[in-house]
Amino acid sequence: MGERLIPGIQQAVMNAFQYTLFYLIFSLPLTLSYRTTKVINFAHANFITYGAYVAIFLHGVLGLNNMSLAVVIAFLVTGAIAVINNVFVFTPLQKRGSSPAIIMISSMGLWIAYKYLLYMITDVAHYYTTKNFVSYGRITYSDVPRGSIGGIEFSQALVASLVAALLIVALLYLLLEKTKIGRAMRAVADNPLLAEISGIPRSLIVNLTWLVCGGIVGIGGVIWTSFSGAITPEVGDSMILQVFTVGFIGGLISLLRTGIGAALIATIENVGIAILNTYFGTPVSFRPFLTFATLITTLIAFPPLGAGGGLPYRFLRRGSKK
Amino acid sequence: MIGFDVVGFLISWLTLFGIYAILSLTLNLESGTAGITNFGKVVFYGVGAYISATLTTYLILMLNGVDVSETPPYDIRGVILLSELGKKNPLLNIGLLVSSLVIAFVMSGALGYLLTYPILRVGPAFVGFTLLSSGELLRIFLQHYEPVGASKGLMAIPTPFEWVADSRVREAAYLGLVLGLLALTYVVTHKLVNSPLGRTLRALRDDEIAALCLGKHVPRIKATVLFIGSGFAGIAGVLLSYYLTSVNPNMFVPAVTFNVWAMIILGGFGNLRGSLLGAAVITFVDRILTFVTPQLGITIISPDYLRWVVVGLLIVVVLLVNPRGILPEKPIKTPALDVMWEELRGESK
Amino acid sequence: MAFDTKTIALIVIALIIGLAIGYGVAAVMGGGAATTVTVTPEKKVYTIGFTLPLSGELSSIGKIWEKVVKLAIEDLNKEVQAYGFNVEFRSVILDDGTTEEKALQNVQSFAQQGIKVIIGPAASAQVKAVKSYVDSNKIVLISPSSTAPTLAIPNDYVFRTVGSDAGQAKVLATLAYQEGARKVVIFFRNDEYGNAFADFLKNYFEGMGGTAVKLPYQTGLSDYASEVATLASKVQSEGADAVVLIAFDTDGANILSHAAESDTLSSVRWFVSEGPHGAEELLSSTVGRFASRVRLFGTRPLFIANPLYEDFKSKMVQKFGVEPGVFSENLYDAVKLAGWAILRAGTYDGEAIRTALIEVAKTYYGPSGWTIFDNAGDKAQQDYGVWAIIPGGPKGYQFKDVGLYERGTIIFLEQAYS
Repeated sequence: MGERLIPGIQQAVMNAFQYTLFYLIFSLPLTLSYRTTKVINFAHANFITYGAYVAIFLHGVLGLNNMSLAVVIAFLVTGAIAVINNVFVFTPLQKRGSSPAIIMISSMGLWIAYKYLLYMITDVAHYYTTKNFVSYGRITYSDVPRGSIGGIEFSQALVASLVAALLIVALLYLLLEKTKIGRAMRAVADNPLLAEISGIPRSLIVNLTWLVCGGIVGIGGVIWTSFSGAITPEVGDSMILQVFTVGFIGGLISLLRTGIGAALIATIENVGIAILNTYFGTPVSFRPFLTFATLITTLIAFPPLGAGGGLPYRFLRRGSKK
Repeated sequence: MIGFDVVGFLISWLTLFGIYAILSLTLNLESGTAGITNFGKVVFYGVGAYISATLTTYLILMLNGVDVSETPPYDIRGVILLSELGKKNPLLNIGLLVSSLVIAFVMSGALGYLLTYPILRVGPAFVGFTLLSSGELLRIFLQHYEPVGASKGLMAIPTPFEWVADSRVREAAYLGLVLGLLALTYVVTHKLVNSPLGRTLRALRDDEIAALCLGKHVPRIKATVLFIGSGFAGIAGVLLSYYLTSVNPNMFVPAVTFNVWAMIILGGFGNLRGSLLGAAVITFVDRILTFVTPQLGITIISPDYLRWVVVGLLIVVVLLVNPRGILPEKPIKTPALDVMWEELRGESK
Repeated sequence: MAFDTKTIALIVIALIIGLAIGYGVAAVMGGGAATTVTVTPEKKVYTIGFTLPLSGELSSIGKIWEKVVKLAIEDLNKEVQAYGFNVEFRSVILDDGTTEEKALQNVQSFAQQGIKVIIGPAASAQVKAVKSYVDSNKIVLISPSSTAPTLAIPNDYVFRTVGSDAGQAKVLATLAYQEGARKVVIFFRNDEYGNAFADFLKNYFEGMGGTAVKLPYQTGLSDYASEVATLASKVQSEGADAVVLIAFDTDGANILSHAAESDTLSSVRWFVSEGPHGAEELLSSTVGRFASRVRLFGTRPLFIANPLYEDFKSKMVQKFGVEPGVFSENLYDAVKLAGWAILRAGTYDGEAIRTALIEVAKTYYGPSGWTIFDNAGDKAQQDYGVWAIIPGGPKGYQFKDVGLYERGTIIFLEQAYS
C-alpha cells in the first residue's frame, strides 16, 4: 500500500495509533484536572512514573505480573498522591490567594521531591533484592491477551491500552454528562463560587477530581510497562512535555480537542519523522525537535485562551497604541 | 582525612557560587520581580558558554596559523595543540575573555529579546513551557551541529589565566574575575529594581492587565528585562565554560534551571540579596555534602537523591510558609522613597 | 521579624532532618561508618578517592562498581600486607550523578582533603571537565571506562585502564563480516560514544568490503518505538542483512524490545556493542527470545578464559550476589595499580605517583589482562570477547561469553544458538 512510498509505513502507523492511546490516557486527565482546579500541575509526571513503578515493584519484589492487580493498586497510589498534593499544598496556597504561577512552582517542588523519593525507594529495593530498579525491562503480563487479527499484530500493550482508553473515554463521558457528580465537576470548573453557593461541596468535588485524574494516569503508567523496553524513574519526565503539548492543543479546556491533539502529536512523532527521514534525510535523532517545534507553534499560533492566556493582546491591533 | 585545604575549598565554592549567583540574580529579576516565569534560563547560560568555547578554541588555533578545517578544535590533534598554544600569549587569552564576555552578553541578550515575542501572548504557565521548549530545541540543534563539536562538545578550552604558572594563583585570579562580574550584575539589577522601572516590573508581576491599563508598554518592558537577564546569564555561561574547560550539550538541561529556581525561592522573590543567600546556601550545602557523605560508609540511598528531595520539599515548604522566602521583599528604594521617609519622620517629630 | 526566624528555623530543621535521616538509614542498614579497622600506630594509611556514577544515567553500572571497589580495596590490602608492607588503603567514594559539574566538585573535594589519586569518573564528558584541574594540581586520575578518542592525550595526568573504542569497533566489524553480513545499518546513540564508535565501525567494515549506513538516534528519550520503526524501514529500503547496535543499557533494552515486534528486524542479524552487556533489562523474555531468533552477538572488552577474571567474577558473585558488569575488571585493576603505584613512589606526591604508575603497569597482569599503558596513558593491549544471550540462569536468560577476537578473526569457543 503505502509501503512503496515509505517502507515500513505500516509499523509507523501502528506506533502512531498506540501512542495516541497512551497520550489519551495521560493527557485527558491533565485537561480535566486543570479545567476543574485551574492548577498547572507539574507533578503530573509523577503519576506516570509512580504508576509504572507500582507495576515494577509488584513484579520485581513480589514476583507478581498480574495487570488487573497492578492497575487497581496504581490507581489508588497515584490518586492518593494527587489528593495529598491538593490537600496539603494546592488548597492552602489557593486559600491564601497565591497566584497561579506560585501554585505551578509549588507543583514543581513536589515534582522534584516525588521523583527523587522514588529514586530513594529504588535504592532500598535494590538493597533487598539486588535487582536493578533504576532501569527495568519490559513486563509480560499473565492476564492480558495477545495475538494477531487479520495480519495485524496485537501486542499486550496494544490490547491493554485500547481497552483502557475506550473505557476511560466512555466513563469520563458518562461521568461528566450523565451523573450528578460529573455535573458538579463541570459546575466547579466553570464557576467555583457559584457552584459553592448553590450547595456543591467544592473541596470534595475537587479532591474527587484529583483522585480520578491522578488514578487514570497511574493506570496508563502500568500499561506503559508492557510497552516500553526499559523503564526508568525519568519516564514521566521524558513524556511530560508531549503530554502537556497535547493538553495545550486542547487549550487545557476541551477534552475533545485534547483527544485530537493526542492523535496529532502521535502521528507527527511517528509518521511525520518517518516521512522526513525518507524524503529529506532528516536524522531520526531530530524527533524531539519536531515535538518541541509543534509545542511552540501551538503556543504561538493558537495561544490557549482558557489557561489564563494573554488576553490583552488578543484585541490589540497594530497602530492603535501610542 | 589527611589535612584540609580551607583556602582551596573557599576558592572552589565561591567560584561556583559566583556563577550561580549571577544566574539567580537575573532569574529573580525576570521571574521574581517582573513575573516572567522563565523555565528556559539554561539556554541563555548555554549560549554564552558555547560562544566563549567556540570563539576561544577556534581563534587560538587560527591565530597561531593552524588550519581549522583540517584540525578543528574538537579533533584530538586540535585538542593537543590547544593545550600547548593556550599558554603562549597572555594578551590573547585576556583579549578573548573580554570579547567572549561582550559577544555572549549581546547574543544571549538578543536571544532573550527575540523570545519575548512568542511569550507575550500567553500566560505564565505557557511562558515557562515556551522558554523550556526553545531551550531544548537549541540543545538538540547543538547536538547535531558539527562545528561546535556536535555531541562531543569542545574541550581543552584555554582559560584567561592559563599563562599563570602557579595553579593556586590562577584559581584565585579567576575567582576575582567571577566575583567582579557578580558585583557588576548585582549593581545593574539593583539599579533596575530600585527605580520607577522596578515598580513597573512589580506591577507587571502582580497584575499585568492593570499595568496595561495604566499605559505601560508591557511588551517593550518585558523585552528589555529579558534582554538584560539573558545577557548576564550568557556572561555566567562564559565563566562556566572557562571553569570546566569543556562544554557539551548535555550540561545545559532543564534540571539546571530548576536548581536556580530553588535558589531564588529560598532567597525570596523580588529580593536580590535573597538570591545571593539562596545561591550561597545551596552551593555550600552541595560542597559540604561531598565531605560529609564519605563518612557514612557505603550508603543504601545515594545522598544525592536525598539532597534533591530536600530541595523539592524546601520549595514547597517555603512557598507554603512564606512565599517571600527567607528575606522579605523590600520596598523599592528610589529617591522618592527617601524623601517620603524623611517627611514622615519630620512630621512625627 | 518573627516570621523570618520561624522560616529560617524551619529550613534549618528540614536540612538537619534530611541529613539525619540519611545518616540514620545508612547507619542502620548500611553496616555503619567507613571500615573501622583497628589501626596499629605505625600503620600508614593511604586514601584513594573514587568518583562513581551512583545516580544518573550510568547508575546501574555505578552500583556494581561500588561493590567492585570494596572488593578491590580488600584484596589490595591483603596483598600489600602479605608482601610485608605495613600500610592500609582506604577508599573514599563520592557520587557524581554522571554529571560534569559534580565530577569536578568531587575531584576538588578530594584535592582539598589532600588526596592525590582519584579513580573515576565514568563518562568521557566528565573526564574532560576535570582534566584541566587534575593536570594543574598534579593529581593522578584513572578512569576505568572513558573511551573517547579525543582524550588520548600524552603527558598528562589522565590515565585510562580501558582500550579505546577504535579497537572494539574493529572487532565488531570483523564479527559482523565473519558472520556473513555485507550490508549493515549502524544504529547508534547520537553522543560522543556512539558517534566515535560508528565512525570507526564504518571505516573498518567498508575496509573489509562491506557497506554500512549510519542511523543515529537521540538519547535520553522515554521510548524508542518510533526510532525502531524508522530503523525497520531503513533496513528494508537498503536491503541490509544486519543491524549493528551501539547503545547503553536502557536504550538498548528498549530498542531490542521494540525490534522484537518488527518482522523486518527479526529477520536480520543483530550485533551489539558492549554498552548493554550485563544489564538485567536485556534478560526479559522478549529480548531473550529475540536474541535467539536473530542470533544476536555482542562484543566487549574482555580477556576471555583469563583465570584471574574467572576468579574475580566468582568472588563478586559470592560476596555480593552480582555478576561484574562491563568495565568492572578495568576498575578493579585501576585500584590495584593505584595502590602499588603509591607504594612504589615512596612519597605521596602526584608527580612521583604518576611516574610509578607507568612503571607498575608495565608488569601488572590482572582480571583485565595486561595493564600496560600506551604513550597517551591509555590501555595499550585490550582484548575483546564475544557475548550472547542464552536461556538459563536465575532470571530465565543470561549473558554468556562465547568467543574471542584473535589476530583478525573471531574464534567461537562454544555454540551459542542452535
